[in-house]
Amino acid sequence: MSEIKKYDVCIIGGGITGTALGYFLCKLGKTSVAIFEKSYLSSGSTGRCAGGIRQQWSTRPNVRLAMRSVKLFERFKDDVGMDIEYRQGGYLVLSYNEQEAEQFERNVKMQREEGLNVEILTPKQVSEKYPYINTEGIIMATFCQTDGHANPHKAVIGYAQAIRKMGGDIYTHTEVKNVDVKNGRVTGIETSAGYFACDVVINASGPWSREVSRLFGVDLPTESYRHQILVTEPLENFFPMMAISFSGNFYMRQTQHGQFILGQGDKDEKPGINHNVTYKFEKELASKMVRIFPFLRDIRIIRHWSGMYNMSPDAQPIIGQSEKVKGYYYAVGYSGHGFMVAPAVGEALAETIVFGKALHTDISYLDLTRFEKMQIEKEKNVV
Amino acid sequence: MRRLKEHPILSVSTDSLQLVFYFEGTQVCGTPNDTIASALIANGIDVFGFTEHNHPRGFFCAIGKCSACLVEVDGVPNVRACITPIREGMNVKMQSGRGKPKW
Amino acid sequence: MVRHIKALIVGSGPAGLTGAIAIAETLGGGKDVIIVDEGIEPGGQLPKQTHKFFGHEGFYASVRGFEIGNLLVKKVKSLGVEIIQQATVTGIYEDVITVYDRVNNIVNEYLADYLLIATGATEKFLAFKNNTLPGVYGAGAVQTLMNQYKVLPGQSFLIIGAGNIGLIVAYQLVQAGAVVKAIVEASSKVGGYAVHANKIKRLGVPILLKHTILEAIGSDKVRGAVVAEVDDAFRPIVGTEKEFVVDSICLAVGLQPNVELVAQTGAKLVYMPELGGHIPWRDENMRTTVQNVFVAGDLSGIEEATTAMIEGYIAGYNIAQEITGKSQEEKIQKMKDELSEFRRGPFSKKVRDGLKKLNIYFPAGGYREELQNNYGPKGKLRAVIECPQPIPCNPCETSCPTGAINVGGNINGIPHIDYEKCIGCGVCVTKCPGLAIFMVQENENYSIVGIPYELLPIPSKGDKVKLLDREGKYVADGEIDHVIPNNKGKTHIVYLKVPKGLEENVRSFSYFKKPEAFVCRCEELTREEIERTIDMGITDYEELRRVLRIGMGPCGGKTCRNLTLQILAEKTGSTISDIELGAYRPPTIPTPFEAVVKSVGERMERLEGKSDE
Repeated sequence: MSEIKKYDVCIIGGGITGTALGYFLCKLGKTSVAIFEKSYLSSGSTGRCAGGIRQQWSTRPNVRLAMRSVKLFERFKDDVGMDIEYRQGGYLVLSYNEQEAEQFERNVKMQREEGLNVEILTPKQVSEKYPYINTEGIIMATFCQTDGHANPHKAVIGYAQAIRKMGGDIYTHTEVKNVDVKNGRVTGIETSAGYFACDVVINASGPWSREVSRLFGVDLPTESYRHQILVTEPLENFFPMMAISFSGNFYMRQTQHGQFILGQGDKDEKPGINHNVTYKFEKELASKMVRIFPFLRDIRIIRHWSGMYNMSPDAQPIIGQSEKVKGYYYAVGYSGHGFMVAPAVGEALAETIVFGKALHTDISYLDLTRFEKMQIEKEKNVV
Repeated sequence: MRRLKEHPILSVSTDSLQLVFYFEGTQVCGTPNDTIASALIANGIDVFGFTEHNHPRGFFCAIGKCSACLVEVDGVPNVRACITPIREGMNVKMQSGRGKPKW
Repeated sequence: MVRHIKALIVGSGPAGLTGAIAIAETLGGGKDVIIVDEGIEPGGQLPKQTHKFFGHEGFYASVRGFEIGNLLVKKVKSLGVEIIQQATVTGIYEDVITVYDRVNNIVNEYLADYLLIATGATEKFLAFKNNTLPGVYGAGAVQTLMNQYKVLPGQSFLIIGAGNIGLIVAYQLVQAGAVVKAIVEASSKVGGYAVHANKIKRLGVPILLKHTILEAIGSDKVRGAVVAEVDDAFRPIVGTEKEFVVDSICLAVGLQPNVELVAQTGAKLVYMPELGGHIPWRDENMRTTVQNVFVAGDLSGIEEATTAMIEGYIAGYNIAQEITGKSQEEKIQKMKDELSEFRRGPFSKKVRDGLKKLNIYFPAGGYREELQNNYGPKGKLRAVIECPQPIPCNPCETSCPTGAINVGGNINGIPHIDYEKCIGCGVCVTKCPGLAIFMVQENENYSIVGIPYELLPIPSKGDKVKLLDREGKYVADGEIDHVIPNNKGKTHIVYLKVPKGLEENVRSFSYFKKPEAFVCRCEELTREEIERTIDMGITDYEELRRVLRIGMGPCGGKTCRNLTLQILAEKTGSTISDIELGAYRPPTIPTPFEAVVKSVGERMERLEGKSDE
């Protein structure tokens, strides 16, 4: 009888979440780890995202998660061994709505209690600091210098290389077709590269989180929505921060290579995997952004693509272990904010798997059971 | 870039290019140690003028002896570019053939 | 107003400066001596010379030219001698001597009791097609720009002439970061010192003997040159033409003394090709046919800076002797003896022959001519001297702390090393002006060869390099074993790790050239970088794109996608049709936001909170 290859942990999904998990598991000594990615690494949401890293969240636990993540991003080059172009250019959050502005004031108070250095700016102050922004309609803004951005592709590759170095395996172009559950326990997975026995399987499949979860017989309340995004030709660097607005529905930053990445949400978008793009999106976004950032007039768009947000009912990730199927963990539903919290989540969930509990950041509030218990504190700061 | 940024033997000073003069109407920057010739060459300008038979000429000996580098400075013709230090605002023009006195 | 001085020295090069020192020292001060020089700074040719001078310690051997200039000028000024720069002695008239002050645009009048004319020499010109094209420069001109103004007038050079000047300027060009494609020499042998030629040869610069330049190519600037072989009569041989792609051509075809001024004194000129052309007749005290006119330096015959300095002293002491009436014979004789010793070697033959015609005799020979035929005990770290010609130079001897090196009593002698005394310290390597001394040690598994190094960047231990032989030809791959830096003298010793047995051949190295075959123009990514990234395990086109940014620039991958797929196919052993093609996204050409905004027409999305107008 041929040997069945066994791993302690199998991870479904080779994006930032999957590779971060793989990395931290290996670091904690659990090197019998394999990641299964049905296409190439970062082919899902991670490879299409804007790379923003924000700590200005509206709920305390989310702020803590993000702050831990930032600590890990700061050490990424030294720990993981790859320069991911991490820059703390800051996040300028613009509010166009009175109600939102009041909420921001409360948020800032809470964020400062958590130790985050956040400034509140009047429209005049925004204008003085950033003379290229048209501040018409802005009620107020908040700014946190330690927010920033990085290159998500390099982060995935960085984690992947470190995993391989530490003895973990990564299978790309390998699809997980089935999951073996016996007596309410995970025992193995069937993939296009063969069968693997394992005790733990983590669902880190991003946009496909719901379908993959069904392989375990567990339903996750996640839905994937398309979000479109543009990039411009490169220019001299002068725009250091991510400019974002929830009420205004946009975000924009300038990459290290001088290109502007920008996008907005579409409330008319229907759920489902869709990687096409619409010109309608370009018209809407262009009109809006040219008014707020007049310098964009003569700048050229060179590429327009889309990626999926894996949304959860309260726009916060769903992380934890299934009660129904022992050994089945999930880290999904990031609702467009997977990259920024991935290191902290990877660390916390890996610690939970290895030690039984997270040592640095609490992620228990993100468990699936919150929906049943109706403990929903909706995260408001999302685009 | 023709100005040396480093040298294994000589020290290369960080003299800022603070002197501005004009060659054929275009701004050229130089250091207080430059001659017209060294500033022009440093800025990639190799043709200082033309001979009577329309052959382009630059410089040859760099020490004021051969008369290849003649230019017109502030209206004065036949100036040897290689031994004339630059001055702020100097107006240097190519000399084609023989110079013309100004009156 | 006429200014009357006792001694007027024309030229602030080495001869003029030592002349001034001799006179001022003897007179007890410099108030009766003036130097007039037309350059922008004093020192003549010295400020442009970055190489170490030959000779012996007493005349600044192993000191770099520009430093010698500084030392002499300092000495002259400390004696109270006035040096007037940017002024030319334009005429020796019947009534006065005129000096044109360029700075103030005024002619000043002088009268002098004694003249020491040290006006040096100028580059000879060469006639070939298009030789007036900008980009054809005298070697001295290139030196001036490069070493005084720190401006490199071109990127790639062809040098015409393999005398000392051509060889030295070629080396200085490499030091400044230029490429020297070749040195072209019409005669059948190198005219300059072998050590100067060796320095440039082992850097990979070829010396083409029996070749001449036919043409400078270009319309407004040099873009190339045509060179051809010549026969024994110096005629170009048809069919041997070669084209070089260069942007500068440097003429180093000899110097001619600047006799215009001395001729005006009425001093007799004689034609002496051995000494560079027409020179002023003079006696062994450097006095011309005019009783109060003396000459020194290259004006009196093309030679070296060291002889210029000595002649300056001889002329100066003679003038001082006449002004004071006090004999300076001892000092003058001492200098004549120095000159005598200096001129014994083969390179001074021309000068000796020329001076013979003036009835001035200098002895030849009297120095060691045999090369050392043993290179010391294998396994011991020791110096190896590759100085094959008798030249007047002995810093190796005087700098050796254990006295292991000697030149045999006369500074023209070939240096020999006593290997019992050699402790392998390497000081001689850093002092030798010809960069002709190397360190060698044969070890168990490999050998090390230490070479004198005066280029940038200074290599680091472990750097992988190509090992080259004395002709600059590739011998083997190697690496830098260690570097002994010399931040004061700037001659560092780079020790190369050399495969055993090759320590007798390896005398140079070069870095592997970074291949710059670009695949992605927008991000300037080379084929090599892409291949390296694929080797790291990034084998998907999309992954490659994300890591290297291929195709993320303004061209959207139009230039690079196919090439990248080809490289991927080659490296992974698959066919292009098997490789997953990356996604194609709009817009196909960069589109300005304004154009998109205009397609919206009047309806523009309002920001939240603002009412429609």
